[in-house]
Amino acid sequence: MKLKYLLFTIFMGFMLNLHAQKYITKSGKINIISESPIFTVEGVNKKVASILNTETGELVISMLIRSFEFEEAVMEERFNINYLESKSFPKSIFKGKISNFEDIDFTTDGIYKTHVEGKLTIHGITHDAEVKGLITITNGIISAESEFHISLTDFEIEIERAFKKSIDDDVLLKIDFTFIKH
Amino acid sequence: MKLGLKIILIITGFILFFGLGATYYVFNKPHRNIAKERPAFIMEASELFEEFNMNEDLGNKKFGNQAIQVSGKVAEITSDENGFSFILNNSMEAVNCTIDVKYKGKATNIKIGDTITIKGKCDGFDMIMGVVLTKCILIE
Repeated sequence: MKLKYLLFTIFMGFMLNLHAQKYITKSGKINIISESPIFTVEGVNKKVASILNTETGELVISMLIRSFEFEEAVMEERFNINYLESKSFPKSIFKGKISNFEDIDFTTDGIYKTHVEGKLTIHGITHDAEVKGLITITNGIISAESEFHISLTDFEIEIERAFKKSIDDDVLLKIDFTFIKH
Repeated sequence: MKLGLKIILIITGFILFFGLGATYYVFNKPHRNIAKERPAFIMEASELFEEFNMNEDLGNKKFGNQAIQVSGKVAEITSDENGFSFILNNSMEAVNCTIDVKYKGKATNIKIGDTITIKGKCDGFDMIMGVVLTKCILIE
């Protein structure tokens, strides 16, 4: 395991080389929302980690499923035990890149439309993902916001029959990160 | 009233009662209170990090979702609208503890370099954050 950690550190070292501008957050926020005619379920994770390389546009997002909080304790339990099976799949990861990287000037304050492409892994299943968002730069602080949808069945997340009418297959993810220079 | 009807009414009454009870339970079950739980493990932050670092899967099985009490030196303090957290041990081998908003008060006096003891729920391990504890409460 120490070897894996060492390899990761070297990998990170290459990915974010000496001259690289590395921006990081360890308290990014992601809301997961399911709306149905019956009720709306919303969970929030305020411990999302992300690293943005402003030299290459590479973006890594990592979060622990157990860090999602729901207003109803029963929902939080079902989310962990039944739906996401967080004991077997404790994390969700995104590895990708800003595809319109040349359009963003990280040294100039402003609001930039952003396209991100990469691989999203949830519940042990990996799919390609293409997401649109906004990057706002103010005084050296980079904020990123995005809203996108995922299909639960795409990630083999099963909702029991009793709740199938209340929890839609289409789920909204809202992203809100504030990066600081590492 | 006929006896048969009476029985049907009583049975219906029971079903309604239990049905309402179950609904009440579903929507009002209290959240786990980590502050009141006895910790499953009491250890140094450096030890906790090392166990996950040696074998992440084993770490998750052993500590995942458990209430853990850790002691360590404060390496970093972060405070923003998403929470108040301490990094114990050191930034490269971190145990990242987010204080439960309910118990933030006591924690705001802590300074970098202080040695503190914290109890929280172990959410797991992440390369960027280290060991992650949430719903944490400061123990003297």
